[in-house]
Amino acid sequence: MSRLATGRTAPAVAAAVLLLGVLPPLLLSGYALRLLDLALIAAVAVVGLVFAFGYAGLVHLGQAGFVGIGAYGVAVLTTRAQWPVWTAAPVAMLLAGGVALLIGAPLLRLRGHYLALATVGFNETLVVIAKNWTALTGGDDGLGGVPGIGGIGSDRAFYWFAAAVLLGVLLLGAALRGSRFGRAMIAVRDDELAAAAAGVPVFRVRLLAFVLAAVLGGLSGALYAPYASFVVPGDFDVVHSITLLVMLIVGGEASLPGAVAGAVIVSFAPEWLRFVGAAYLSVFGVLVLLVLVLMPQGLVGALARLRRPRHV
Amino acid sequence: MGELAQLVVNALAVGGIYALIAMSFELAYESTGVVNFATGQLAVMGAMIGASALALLRLHGGLPVGYLATAAAMAVVGLAFFAAVFRPLRGAPPVTIVIGTIAIGMVIQNVAQLVWGPLPVAMRSPVGSGTIHLAGVALPLHAVFVIAVTVALVGVVHALLHATPLGVQMRALAQDAETALLMGIRPLRLYGMIWVLVALLAGIAGVLLAPMWFIDVTMGDTLALKAFAAAIIGGFGSIPGAVCGGVLVGLAEILGAAYVSSDYKDAFVFALMIAFLVLRPQGLFGERIGARG
Repeated sequence: MSRLATGRTAPAVAAAVLLLGVLPPLLLSGYALRLLDLALIAAVAVVGLVFAFGYAGLVHLGQAGFVGIGAYGVAVLTTRAQWPVWTAAPVAMLLAGGVALLIGAPLLRLRGHYLALATVGFNETLVVIAKNWTALTGGDDGLGGVPGIGGIGSDRAFYWFAAAVLLGVLLLGAALRGSRFGRAMIAVRDDELAAAAAGVPVFRVRLLAFVLAAVLGGLSGALYAPYASFVVPGDFDVVHSITLLVMLIVGGEASLPGAVAGAVIVSFAPEWLRFVGAAYLSVFGVLVLLVLVLMPQGLVGALARLRRPRHV
Repeated sequence: MGELAQLVVNALAVGGIYALIAMSFELAYESTGVVNFATGQLAVMGAMIGASALALLRLHGGLPVGYLATAAAMAVVGLAFFAAVFRPLRGAPPVTIVIGTIAIGMVIQNVAQLVWGPLPVAMRSPVGSGTIHLAGVALPLHAVFVIAVTVALVGVVHALLHATPLGVQMRALAQDAETALLMGIRPLRLYGMIWVLVALLAGIAGVLLAPMWFIDVTMGDTLALKAFAAAIIGGFGSIPGAVCGGVLVGLAEILGAAYVSSDYKDAFVFALMIAFLVLRPQGLFGERIGARG
């Protein structure tokens, strides 16, 4: 991804962006287009994980919880308080970031799989709250009638809108990756002691990466609620957090294009594996295991190795 | 008073089952370095296999044969786990192991769904569904049985780890694999045995739980989360810790559900877990965990 910033491959990237950002809705329709829309929504949350996990190395199994805060934030504000989506969305994102700041302060003292377990517990707690705070969230019945984003009436128009949002998020990601903060995150991930010795405020960097991931998760949810017009607690449970992390790992854990590719591939996996029928989860689980063992750097890493075998 | 005593006995039984699952989880982590996110699915496998084995073998030899067949099947599951999961993922970074064992948990759950279907299994307790009267309080016999079995198993595992050559080898391998190899320990055979024990402990927990709750194939993650909470509360790497953690989780769940709100009982457990992570990350008995992993 750092090559994007160098400008050497800028024309190719621009062509790819135009092609992928504009064409698909003209070629696809119906269910495939809907899946692609959902893949773009997920990709925004996965880019958040690029910061938290890919760059800062936090094993984060609670991202769907932050997507849920964004989605419920928009759903509650638009249906119960009659706010327009455009003002509800930023508030929902800030809410996700604020919650991340509050729980991150204690939780991020943990490392590795302890953090993974704690984020699982956090995510489950959010689901329990969403299921039981019926007056606000509608409980297990969910919350329906979320208005769409003004001016976007079709799945096709939504694709272009979501692609533009995702592009903005990716550009922000690339800029941050090249910044002092980006280098600090990677330094913390690679060697915390050395980073601390070099004057990097380790804890603050980890917290900021976590909050940034949550804000992008909130944005993903703020796109989802108006798109689906309906939210239920089950859409934001740990299984979805796992799916988001799997998307990142399939694509390539520290790669922005990988995050998008992983989101699209994993979103379409149920469709492509339809022929295996009820054994889908077994096949999917085995495929994930194979990716972990055979391509630990994900798709992007495997492609890079194919192209430049000697330099890796 | 009677009601409270009943609740406490139920909480101890449920907590004992969480403790067994937590012991399975910790044994895998301490001696093989794998954080096993499929522990809950192993427990569900135990319940499913147990229910089928008891139903099939009721006419041919009765309960003991059924339980032995279940144990044998769980040992095979443990060996399969060792071959298909542990060997390829050994030494991988934490996230790879987390996602890898989650993936294998999905596979186990899906296979269980295909074999046993979505309905919960029915299993009778070996001691029946009666009650026992102690000091004027009626206690469910199965809950008392579960507590007894848990206590016995904790003793057996402790003795196995501390008083047999096998246990000494396991602990040596966990503490310093290289030196253990120099002392002539054969690691693969030992790792295989550890995984058999891991699957057995989880499987027994499932068999004990089945007569108390309706267990269906989707319950693995719920069970695993409670066991993880028990492990964290008790302190990682400590068997007494797993037991105390399991009992505390059981008490928080059952008493919280009875006296505060049954809707939020899972939230109490996670709140307790997060409070421990933040305030006392080494748990009740364990080492300091914050910086590990």
